[in-house]
Formats: sequence, C-alpha cells, structure tokens
Amino acid sequence: MTKIKLYFPKIILTFLMIFLLIGTELSILIQHKALTSQTFESIVSQQALDEKSYSALESYFKSRANSTGIPADVYLNAISQEEIRQGILSSISEAVEHMHSHIGDGFVISMDFTELETSVTEFFNQYADENNYQKDEIFNQKVQANIQEAEEKILYTVDTFKFRTIYEHGWFDTIRKFLDIFRTVMTVLCICTAVILILLILCCKGDFSELLYWLGLSELISSLLVSVPCLYLVKSNYFSGFVVKDIQIYAAVTGYLNYITNRISVAFMITGITGIIFLIIFAVMQKSKKQTS
Amino acid sequence: MADKKQKTALPVWILTGLFLLILCIAVSIALLIRPYEKAQTYLNIVFMDQNMKIAPSSGLEGLVIKENQIETTPVSDIPEAEQKFYDTGEIIRPVFGEQYAVLQCDAISLSVPVYWGSSAELLERGACQASSSVVIGEKGNSVIDAHVNTFFADLNQLENGNLITLYTSYGIFEYQVSEKIQFLNTDKKYVLPTDDDRLTLYTCEAQVLGTSDNRTGVICNLISRKFYNPAEGETDHD
Repeated sequence: MTKIKLYFPKIILTFLMIFLLIGTELSILIQHKALTSQTFESIVSQQALDEKSYSALESYFKSRANSTGIPADVYLNAISQEEIRQGILSSISEAVEHMHSHIGDGFVISMDFTELETSVTEFFNQYADENNYQKDEIFNQKVQANIQEAEEKILYTVDTFKFRTIYEHGWFDTIRKFLDIFRTVMTVLCICTAVILILLILCCKGDFSELLYWLGLSELISSLLVSVPCLYLVKSNYFSGFVVKDIQIYAAVTGYLNYITNRISVAFMITGITGIIFLIIFAVMQKSKKQTS
Repeated sequence: MADKKQKTALPVWILTGLFLLILCIAVSIALLIRPYEKAQTYLNIVFMDQNMKIAPSSGLEGLVIKENQIETTPVSDIPEAEQKFYDTGEIIRPVFGEQYAVLQCDAISLSVPVYWGSSAELLERGACQASSSVVIGEKGNSVIDAHVNTFFADLNQLENGNLITLYTSYGIFEYQVSEKIQFLNTDKKYVLPTDDDRLTLYTCEAQVLGTSDNRTGVICNLISRKFYNPAEGETDHD
C-alpha cells in the first residue's frame, strides 16, 4: 500500500528530474562550450576558414580586376593566408571579450595592412609614372579610396562569424545579459536537480535498486528527448540549407551549428548510456533478489 | 508468492517507463509548438534552401551556369532556299545563368556570349542581360552590359548607324546604333522599360585608375527580327 502511495510521487519526481536534467545539461553546455573562443577556434581549423576566406578574397580581387584594372596580385601578394587566419582569430577573441565583459565602444579586428598599403601605393605610382598621370590630390584620394576599400573587404571576409554585424546590432549586450541570467539559472537548476534527487532517495526508502530505476529512466528519457532531434538535424543536413552562400560565412555558421548540435547529442547520448547502465543494474539486482527469495 | 510479485512488477516497470516517455514527449511538443510557430518564418528564411542540401565547394554556390551552342551564321550566308524566317515567333525564355544569345558587331570586331541575369561570375564569361529587362525579341528595352576591361572594351568606339546582331536559339535580331549615352551608375533612366523595341548596351567608363561611377554605352533600334519558328497559328514567311 505504501509502495502504491509513493508510486505517483516518484513518477512526478522523475518527470521533473527529466526536464531538470535537460535544462542543467544544456545550460552547462551553453555556458562552457557554445560561446568560448576554443570552440570558435576549433571551427576555424575544422572548416579551414582561413583557406576559404583567402580563396574568397582571391576570387573577389580577380573579379574586381576586370572593372578596376588593378591586378589581383597587388592585393593578394600583400596578404597571406596566415595573416587571414590571425584576422579571423582576432575577430573571435574580440567577440568573446565583448560577450563576457563590456570593453568599450568599437569592434576592432587587428590586422596589419602596412604591406597592402605599400603594394597598392607602389602600383598606383608606377602606373601613374608609366602613363604620365598627374599625381595630384585626386590621385591621392583614389589611392586612399582603393586602400580603404580593400581593407574593408578583407576585414569583412575575415569576420567569418559575422561578429561585427552582431556588435553593430547591439546583440553582444543581449548575449552578456543572457549569460549573466544563465549563470543564475544554471545554479538554480543544479540545486533543483539535487533536491529532486534527495526526494527520490527519500521516496525509495533506501531501496537502491529502485532508485537506480527511476534515475536510469529519467536519464534515458531526457537523452531521447534531446539527442533524437539533434541527430535528425545533423543527419538530415538541416543546416546545409543556410541561405548565406559566401563560402567562408557558410562554412563558419554551418560548421558552428553542426559542432554545437553534435556536442549536445554526444553529451545526451552519454547520459542515455548511463541511464541504460542504471536500468541494467536495476534489472540484475531485481533478478538476484528474485533468486534469493 | 515473491515470484508472482516479481512477475507482476516487470510490466509495471516497463509501462511506467513508456508512460513517462509519452508524457514527456507530449509535454515537450506542447511547450515547443508555440515558440516553433513563431520561429518558423525566421527558420524558413535562414535555412530556406532545403531542396539543395549541398554544401558549397566553390564561389558559384546557387548559380547554375548553362552554356548553349547558338548558331551564328549571318543571314547573308544562309542559302536563299533555306532562309525560312517569321516576323513573330516563339521566344524561349532563358533561366538565370543561361547563355541564350551571342552578340556580334563587325564595327568593333565584337562577338560575345550573352547570359541571362547578372553576377560577377557571369560577367567573367561574357555580357549579361539584366533579368529586369525584356528578353530579346519581346517588345521593350533589352539591357546588356559587360566589363570595360574585357568584352566591352571598345564599346565607346561604336558610332551611330553601326549594326549589331543578336543570335539566339529562336531567331536573329538586328539593331542599329541610334544614340551614344553616358550616365551615372545611380541614374536608371536608360535601363528602365520602354515602349519601343530597343537594345541598350553599356559598360563602365574606362578610367586610368580604379572604378568609375560613370557608365557609357549605346542605344540601338531594332531593324529586323527573324524567328526560326512561327508563333502559334502563324504561317507567313518573312
């Protein structure tokens, strides 16, 4: 009778435990995986974003040569793939700093354009000398305009995760506030999970095998609820439909989304496996109990 | 007695698990259905390319370039017996990125493929016709542009009276240069639709350094149209 009395509270506690486990695990993953520079940097390597960005720039400057008459090499010889990589990493570290603390106005991607400026200026000077073009104020303005345009294009290209757009829309402030709330939510969720666990232990009245059953069940169900949709997203290539087709942005965004989805599904699959182990132990203990009796 | 108790407990354990699973799925769906409905529009915009599902591997994502073999034998070289043309005929509407014409002009020794639509990749390959203008053969303004450093380098050398021929898979269209034009890239008056049949060709103004905001080109009037196939119901020869 007592067992039946406690059956429904256990179901309710397990039901709560399932959602608490999902919440806790997701909040820990978001806090410690989703918005860290290590994650973004690993995507840079995984997706070869430096190579893709460089080839995007190569294609852009070659295409521009048809309308500007400035050979692509003027720009491309002055900038290397390694510099592009450093630019991407700089945009990441700047973004992560913006996410975690207010570091003043401006989103600055550090890149050294001295060589580019020299190369463009030299080309213009040489061209002007060969064609007897007057090096007046208009000439200087054109040189500066070209340098500025090239620099802006390079900075746009290395910002593969579109952090500058996020900054310009003021979303870093939102992310910061969200992360602050998240820390509190994460703590509350952890405490709630612990409380529910204690209540479950009390309800099981020292029956360890039964406690394993309810814990295993909650872990298995929470795992199924999250990892199945995540696996669907990954296996159906849902993120491949991302509409921005700039090769480096596409690779960065889809790479990031797939990475995070994979991490979530792996974490919940581990939870699921733990749940299955608990259920197996429970079954074995039940069987041994049966044999003993 | 204990064995019986164990036997009855097993289905309870299984059914409890299934009940909780179904309950949690139902609650999750109920909780997520409203936010999903709200987010669906945005998701469709951001991940709209659901039919493609192909990760891009080059700079030509989403653009399918189609090259066509187009007959460019001048009318004068076609034996008279084979000259079977029609005043009106069936126009084959191209798709974006499709080469659907060849533009020739003897005055400046020009022969360039014309693509429907305009993009950096297409401009690399030939001249581009704005998809907002009318298809060659239709009434209105057909607007074609190309790079000044490649195909339209000599466009500014065209003079009034020069002939331009456009060969398509459905007919041959001859135009005559009637006006030389210059305009700012922000000025759309020459690329807007017109009531008369005309061809507008333009390119960037050649500049010693960098890009120019000025555009230079020609307006040509249609002088003859020769369709290979008649329009539905028509049998008259040209």
